[in-house]
Amino acid sequence: MISLTSYAFVAMMLFSIGAIGVIARRNIFVIYMSIEMMLNGINLFLVTFARYHFNMDPQVITIMVIAIAAAEAAIFLSVIILLYRSRKSLDTDIFNTLKQGEKS
Amino acid sequence: MNTNLLVWIILAPLLGAILNAGFYFYHIKKEKVSELTFSLIGTGTPLISFLITLTLFLRMNEEGIIFKQELFTWLDIDKLHIGMSLLGDNLSIFMSMFVTFVGWLIHIYAIGYMRGDNGFGKFFAYFNLFLASMLILVLADNPIILFIGWEGVGVCSYLLIKFYYGKAENVIAANKAFIVNRVGDFGFILGIVTLFFALGEVDLSFSSIEANIGNASSELLVLSGVLLFIGAMGKSAQIPLYVWLPDAMAGPTPISALIHAATMVTAGVYMVARFHFLYSGIEEIGLLIAYIGAFSALLAAIIATRQTDIKKILAYSTMSQLGYMFIAVGLGFYSTGLFHVFTHAFFKAMLFMGAGGVILAVHHRQNIFDIAKHRAITPIIKFTFLIGVIAISGVPFFSGFFSKDAILAAAFQEGEYLIWAMAIFTAFLTAFYMFRLYFIVFVAPTKHEVKYEYTSRTITIPLLLLAVGAVAAGYLNLPTILGGEHLVDTWLIQLKSNTIHMSHLTEWILMILSVVVAGSGIFVAYKKYANFDIYHPEEETGLIGNKFYIDDIYNTLFVQSTKKVSTFIDKVIDEKIIDGFIMSSSNTFVNIGKKVSMTQNANVRFYAAFMLVGMTCIFIYLYITLGL
Amino acid sequence: MSSDILSFIIFLPALVAFALMITTKDVNTIRNIAFLTTTVILALVLKIYIEFIPSEGMQFVTNVPWIETYGINYYVGLDGFSLTILMMIAILIPTSYLLLWEGRTKGYWLNMLLVQTGVTGTLLSLDIVLFYFFWEVMLLPVFLMIGSYGFGKKIFTTIKVTVYTMAGSLLMFIAILYLGVAYHNEFGVWSFAYNELMKITTIEYSTRVWLFLAFLSAFAIKIPIFPLHTWIMDTYKNAPTGAVFLLSSIMAKLGVYAIVRFMIPIFPEIYIEFSIYFVAIGLFGLVYFGIAALMQDDIKRMFAYSSASHLSFIAAGIFSLNEYGINGALYLTIAHAIATGALFLLVGLIHEETGFKTIKDLGGIAKQAPILTFIFAIMLFANVGLPGTNGFVSELLIIFGIYEFNHTLGYISAITVVVGASYMLWMFQRAILQDRPEGSPVLKMRDLKIKEIIGLTPWVFLVFLMGFYPDIFIDKFEPTVTHYLNDILHIGAAK
Repeated sequence: MISLTSYAFVAMMLFSIGAIGVIARRNIFVIYMSIEMMLNGINLFLVTFARYHFNMDPQVITIMVIAIAAAEAAIFLSVIILLYRSRKSLDTDIFNTLKQGEKS
Repeated sequence: MNTNLLVWIILAPLLGAILNAGFYFYHIKKEKVSELTFSLIGTGTPLISFLITLTLFLRMNEEGIIFKQELFTWLDIDKLHIGMSLLGDNLSIFMSMFVTFVGWLIHIYAIGYMRGDNGFGKFFAYFNLFLASMLILVLADNPIILFIGWEGVGVCSYLLIKFYYGKAENVIAANKAFIVNRVGDFGFILGIVTLFFALGEVDLSFSSIEANIGNASSELLVLSGVLLFIGAMGKSAQIPLYVWLPDAMAGPTPISALIHAATMVTAGVYMVARFHFLYSGIEEIGLLIAYIGAFSALLAAIIATRQTDIKKILAYSTMSQLGYMFIAVGLGFYSTGLFHVFTHAFFKAMLFMGAGGVILAVHHRQNIFDIAKHRAITPIIKFTFLIGVIAISGVPFFSGFFSKDAILAAAFQEGEYLIWAMAIFTAFLTAFYMFRLYFIVFVAPTKHEVKYEYTSRTITIPLLLLAVGAVAAGYLNLPTILGGEHLVDTWLIQLKSNTIHMSHLTEWILMILSVVVAGSGIFVAYKKYANFDIYHPEEETGLIGNKFYIDDIYNTLFVQSTKKVSTFIDKVIDEKIIDGFIMSSSNTFVNIGKKVSMTQNANVRFYAAFMLVGMTCIFIYLYITLGL
Repeated sequence: MSSDILSFIIFLPALVAFALMITTKDVNTIRNIAFLTTTVILALVLKIYIEFIPSEGMQFVTNVPWIETYGINYYVGLDGFSLTILMMIAILIPTSYLLLWEGRTKGYWLNMLLVQTGVTGTLLSLDIVLFYFFWEVMLLPVFLMIGSYGFGKKIFTTIKVTVYTMAGSLLMFIAILYLGVAYHNEFGVWSFAYNELMKITTIEYSTRVWLFLAFLSAFAIKIPIFPLHTWIMDTYKNAPTGAVFLLSSIMAKLGVYAIVRFMIPIFPEIYIEFSIYFVAIGLFGLVYFGIAALMQDDIKRMFAYSSASHLSFIAAGIFSLNEYGINGALYLTIAHAIATGALFLLVGLIHEETGFKTIKDLGGIAKQAPILTFIFAIMLFANVGLPGTNGFVSELLIIFGIYEFNHTLGYISAITVVVGASYMLWMFQRAILQDRPEGSPVLKMRDLKIKEIIGLTPWVFLVFLMGFYPDIFIDKFEPTVTHYLNDILHIGAAK
């Protein structure tokens, strides 16, 4: 059998890569994809524990997460389109009108 | 004994001042008021004061009493009880007599002198106010009320010196007078305070101080004596606080006559006499006073020999004569000193008034050589001026001789030969520079065509009256060797002055010596100046001509350095250091705020990173504390 | 009924201000009604002055619970100290209205009314939290006045002065809370009345010192005492005349008053122990500010320094621990308020008429405006301490007081005689007297109008009355001073 730890490790990797992608990438689509990757990592965690502890509850949560991710996809992509329309760019660093500190 | 009349001596000129001030405001705001009105009020009130004083004097002479008047309680805190009370004893009535009489004559003189001036009414208001203050000074029953009059005359002196205030230098002279006086007052107030506590906080009237003088330790008495004398130094223009007096000549001549000759400057001498019970007990200080008087007399006389402004020469001569007065009172000869005050008032006022008359006659020139170049014939002025010059030089049969001679004899008798020598040399110089003045102004040959210039009677009549006084006043205190009765000394017996009691031979020798000295001074002046070429005038150059540079020294030492400290305080200490500290602490807050606000940079990914870091920390913390 | 009179005096101006704010729009109506209010208050205060009996206790007292849970009462009352300052405020403010009559906006007058409430409330409060409340209330209208109606860097100035003063008030507030808690711990109930807080005994010495300094910081900033004085320079220069007048003539005195009212009863031993330092600092301030005033080119800054100089002298007198000094200091607060207030108002007038910037630009006013010059000269000499004016009596008493306290410091204190004269006379010469070339803006200066003369005449009259007949005034507050010294500080008993 493949141990729990390996699955956990893979899930952890997925989550971390997603987290870093959210922080370090400027392209909105990439950020979105990283968020999805984080969610998938969490899903893998949940399913793994469900399989290894013979419990159905995590699997229920996983289905919910997938559903929510889909809804979130719809909204996220609509907002991206609106943002693109207002600023004609997909660089998240441009949206800084709420900035304090130096003059923007 | 109690009387209600004393206060009217002061109130009459005070009300005159208020009335004239009111009329003056009316004059400049609404309608013109005639000079006659101002003159009547202005000269009527001193006359009233003089008449009241005369009445009281006659009664005192007959009955041998003194007058007091308690007006109201001025201050009553803890143990400090000061009443607004007036004292009319021999000394104060003596002072008041000649102050009001000479003052009255000078007021009359001022009518003619100030004719046509825009500020005619204002002048008389100030003048009356001055007289009122001087009378408060001499009639006060305690040193605090005396100080009210003391400062009052200082303020009036300031107001009158800067009468022509449009020109800055007049105001500067007035400021100088007031501030130097104030330095003296600093000493005076401290003297009173020290005395009050040294005596154990007793009632502060003069009689009470005299009675309790034994309570105080002698060091504190010495200290009080010195401090009080610092006040006198300022008021009476002795070294080192004399620098204001020559500059004070910027004011109109009547005030030079009244304030800076006959009355205000003698306040210091009066004060020392009034505190005779204090100074008689601290003879070292009395000696110090006498020395300062002698040095001042000498210094002033030296400087006067090279001055070219007619009023400044007279100013320095006043300082010199004041020095004589202090020699006398310093050595304990109070009545002798006051006798010189008395005679000096007459001839000095007359000299100043004469100078004013001359200045008017030559249309406002004050340099003696200029006056000679434009000389006019003014017989009465010339005559009275001559009498004044003779009197001040100490020629026998004129008043100055008797008073000055008594002072010289006093110094000699006390064994203060240095003082005596300085005083005699000063007498020589006095005769010299006064006759220098006379010869140049009235005698030295001029190419100008001299014409007669009319001088109004308001000028000439007071001059003649004072001339009588200048001669006759001396006879009031004739020494016994000449068959006199020492009237002034007897009158002022309360002061317990030292008296002259030396062998008749010594007295005659001293007298002849001073006559010889005076005569030689006149002679030297005659040789040099009677035929002086006024078209090559003397300039005020050289060490003496520049008044030993003392004014400049004072300026650098005190005025400039204070200004520099002031700028330093403002620009460096206040702005840079103290305020800099405050502003830098507030700037620190602002800067910290700016730094912190850099986290609010509206960058979403930055916020996300922060959230991640934060969550990680929380999980680690929970992991550690919950021991998972 | 008579014991409600104090509350009426305190709140009337604020109520009138609020009423005016919502009803009228016309500046002149507002100004007239405000003036009427202040004269009404003057009349009431005169009534109190006559009815006051110069003994040691509090009179006209009102004491009702306000915030009961914490023992904070609405406790107001009057004794000799407050009476003199109240009289002074009541007389000064109506005249200042007369001299500020033309050309102001609505807000100006409303703010003046509110300040009057704050100031009177501060003066009459005997509960320390109530006192704090009014202390802050009197700051806010001044903040608005300087910020809206000032000159130059007015926003910067108003923020600086407000924050600076509030920093001090904050320290004071912390001390107040500490005292309240200590009282509660000791006695089981809450109270903030000044005569209750006197009774606390459980605070240890070092804490008392900190509390003392915390309180003092608030008052020292207001007075000002060196080195907490740097706010005055910008403020007096950039603030409108009304604000400057209020700050220097009235609010600074409240700092002095507060020291006497609250700090002496609550911290007597520390007060006595530290008195020598404060007398020394006061005298230092006298000389320091006096010299700094000399070379000032801006006339308002010069007066700011002069004001600070006299106020330092007052502070020195307050700390001199004897009857002469404290009575003298109180007398000088009144004398200074009148003289400096008048000078500031006249200078404000000159500024508005001529638009000058510095003393160098002035001169020749004496010919244009003789009545103004006359009153200016009288107030100047009162400031300098000429005998015959109230300034002299007060300075003399303070010199006596400081001398009795410490001989050396007494000698230094007499310097006040010389210091004031020098810069005042020089300023007078350059600004008022000496001639100006033709075409200078100064020549537009007008003389005083009738209402201004009427307003200032009582002040001139007071200056001389207080100078020639001081006893009738001093009698009103002398018993209170004696009471403070003997009973609270136990100094008189020791003598």
